[in-house]
Amino acid sequence: MLKYTIKRIIQGIVTVWFIATVTFIAMHSVPGDPLTGERGMSEEIRQNLEQKYGLDKPILEQYIIYMGNMIKGDFGISFTQQNRSVNDIIREHFPVSATLGILSIVFAALGGVLWGALTAIYRNRLPDVVVMFLVIFGISVPSFVIAAMSQLILVNINTSFGFSILPVAGWGTISHMLVPSLVLGLGTMAFLTRLMRSSMLEVVNADYIRTAYSKGLPAQRIFLKHQLRNAILPVITVIGPAIASITTGGFVVELVFAIPGLGRFFVQAVQQLDYTVIMGTTVFYGAFLVFMVIIVDLIYGLVDPRVRLE
Amino acid sequence: MINKSIALKVSNLHVEFDTYGGVIKAVRGVSFSIKKGLTTAIVGESGCGKSVTVQSIMGLIPKPPGKITRGEVYFEKQDILKNKKINGKDIRGSKIGMIFQDPMTSLNPTMKIGDQVAETIQTHLGLSYSNAFKKAIDLLDLVQIPDAKQRASQYPFELSGGMLQRSMIAMAVACRPSILIADEPTTALDVTIQSQILSMLSDMQKENDMAIILITHDLGVVAEIADEVLVMYGGEIVEKGDVNEIYNNSSHPYTLGLKEAMPTNIKGEKKTLKPIEGSPPDLFRPPIGCSYFDRCPVAMNVCEKNRPETYEISKDHHTNCWAHHKYATNSFK
Repeated sequence: MLKYTIKRIIQGIVTVWFIATVTFIAMHSVPGDPLTGERGMSEEIRQNLEQKYGLDKPILEQYIIYMGNMIKGDFGISFTQQNRSVNDIIREHFPVSATLGILSIVFAALGGVLWGALTAIYRNRLPDVVVMFLVIFGISVPSFVIAAMSQLILVNINTSFGFSILPVAGWGTISHMLVPSLVLGLGTMAFLTRLMRSSMLEVVNADYIRTAYSKGLPAQRIFLKHQLRNAILPVITVIGPAIASITTGGFVVELVFAIPGLGRFFVQAVQQLDYTVIMGTTVFYGAFLVFMVIIVDLIYGLVDPRVRLE
Repeated sequence: MINKSIALKVSNLHVEFDTYGGVIKAVRGVSFSIKKGLTTAIVGESGCGKSVTVQSIMGLIPKPPGKITRGEVYFEKQDILKNKKINGKDIRGSKIGMIFQDPMTSLNPTMKIGDQVAETIQTHLGLSYSNAFKKAIDLLDLVQIPDAKQRASQYPFELSGGMLQRSMIAMAVACRPSILIADEPTTALDVTIQSQILSMLSDMQKENDMAIILITHDLGVVAEIADEVLVMYGGEIVEKGDVNEIYNNSSHPYTLGLKEAMPTNIKGEKKTLKPIEGSPPDLFRPPIGCSYFDRCPVAMNVCEKNRPETYEISKDHHTNCWAHHKYATNSFK
């Protein structure tokens, strides 16, 4: 197990290095640089700035300097934000995004497993038909539409009650987090519901379930210990990639609900070619996702003894 | 035959499956009884309704699409099909145990062997988990699994097929059931393991006076351990009786056909295998008359439209074949 974990961590580091290098190359291949703005600047000022930021050096040298700083944990200073280091930006805004993302994942996983198991048990009956219709809805409607719709509904509810039951936007308390995380997790939940349903249908007809019945076990024990435990395996497999899509896809929802998350900086930085912020956020997100996938793989081993490794 | 008291009685059982293609009448009027301490073998080709019959007794027919349309199963003087008595924990797993064909897929892959045995004990005998687990180890020892204590903490993928089938048996006999149903218990195992498993089953039978229902394709196994035989064809029982009677005085053309289609390993004897031509009847529209009519070498006109009556060959031997009617023109002997 330890050997496996170490192996996975080394693989993860290589992956992050790869992400960083590709981003670096892609970023520098884009025409223009952080100093290209609407206001023209004289050639001398430009040269001075380039010298200050090291942009006049050959690309390879810039790459080596940047990587050296990155290993030390220094992502540099933003080109466009006044006097803010990338580390500060991440430190300040990532916890917000992470809270939102984790809440969404928890919601999506619990909901997906629950709805999936329910629809499988009520296969082809009314609850199944209704939930599966909503699932198609959840998968096909993009999150920004649902986000805006939910805000509209919230406004109507709040006005009809005369006071604010749930805030429409903003960040701070749990009531602020509730609706955005629901909206953000909805698509993933719909997807996981489908996956869980088909997996559960397969398990329900498995030979070992027939054995469990033949042993005279109570229905709830068969459901929890035999059906759910085995049906959940494929769901755990896709939770890793699902975390990826939720945390990186969160910026739209963050924008709609005016949440001060990292997603906004991520997108803005690309538009403004803010080299250090692009590199910092990309590498940070990449490392975070690689880490989550490793965690999910280790959890998988706990649930399915067949993939547990010495 | 030794007179033994009856452990289970099935009368006029009908089972249907509602599929997209229509209604399959899988079991059509099966009646038989199982005696305590004896082994009753059910033989017949694939799809003749052997497994469906025993799974209906156990209440394991998936409903829908399965449906028991008629019939009773008497166990301890009550009809267990009524009021869904079998579906509770009172009978299933405690008084009637069952083992299945493929041990590789019949055990939960994510649960320790010991836990799977222990949960039967926990459910029926009300023991605590740790006591049940200890008892599970004893049971695994009883079914001759080496290093039972260590094996109990392992998962099914870490055990061989033979060991898994032994664990299945440990589970099925954990509560000392009065009936053990074995649905092709040795089909997926190799021959040496097969004989070990079978002899272990008969040892357990002697100890507990347990009745065994054994479903098999293997007439050699039947000859070896069965006391009574039911021959099924097309969802019906065509011949039933004492094993010696069935072998030495086969009274149904299908039984005879099965015997002729069996290879021999007696030295010096040369025998051509004789297959039964044709295929089993379409159970979407089962024949009105004798279900074996299409393939029967001695079929008469009466067989096509009239269901054969039951004829008593001897006290312990009955067959459903018109050839035993006193006016029968054909005889297959």
